[in-house]
Amino acid sequence: MMTLPFLLFACGLAAAWTRRRETALGFWAAGVLVLLVLFKVHVTEVLNIAL
Amino acid sequence: MTPDHSRLLNALGLIAINTLLVLAFIDQIWFRDLPCPLCILQRAAFVAAGFGLALNLLFGARPSHYGVTILGAVAGAVIAGRQVLIHIVPGTGSYGNPIFGLHLYTWALIAFGVMVIGTAIMLLFDRQFQGELLRPRMDIWALMSLTIFAAVIVANIFSTLLLCGVGFCPDNPTDYLIFRDNLSVTSG
Repeated sequence: MMTLPFLLFACGLAAAWTRRRETALGFWAAGVLVLLVLFKVHVTEVLNIAL
Repeated sequence: MTPDHSRLLNALGLIAINTLLVLAFIDQIWFRDLPCPLCILQRAAFVAAGFGLALNLLFGARPSHYGVTILGAVAGAVIAGRQVLIHIVPGTGSYGNPIFGLHLYTWALIAFGVMVIGTAIMLLFDRQFQGELLRPRMDIWALMSLTIFAAVIVANIFSTLLLCGVGFCPDNPTDYLIFRDNLSVTSG
């Protein structure tokens, strides 16, 4: 599961290298989305700070 | 700033990101400082930010590509900032070994901030966007930075797979999960 962002970015870079810019941007956006979802899943500790 | 200057600076920026990711690997392999889940996500955010620079090298400089870099860096700064906040109160512990007095997540937060500022400065130079080539010339710096970038992404895929398997990573990894699981299967 944690490899997913890297896999999507790798696919995006491959698409960019083969001149498919829109596809590359799509893979990048999907990668960032998955990255943020994984971040949300892993944020389990409550911060013990007063802001 | 001419498109050639812009290409060189983008290549150097991508080399800087590659260097950070390689240093993280050296820390992981040489000093056995295994990355936590948030650390892995910060690595992914470095890749997300570097992606914009790679697009600049492959398609020529565009404001949208710099936007990709800024969004990736902001995502990384949020993740690194969260990890800094977890450990910011004295006595709440830390993760990993400090390097030059700061932990890797603190260095990551600084690096993401520098990337946002650096990219914003690059956006100030409009001449780099003129005379855009559909297929920009690939010089040695661009080719080298892109090749290493691709290699670092692939290395991260294998490293994360070894560390976490196909599921989620443990909060405080002490060993490579895939080896431990395979050993338990073998011994069981």
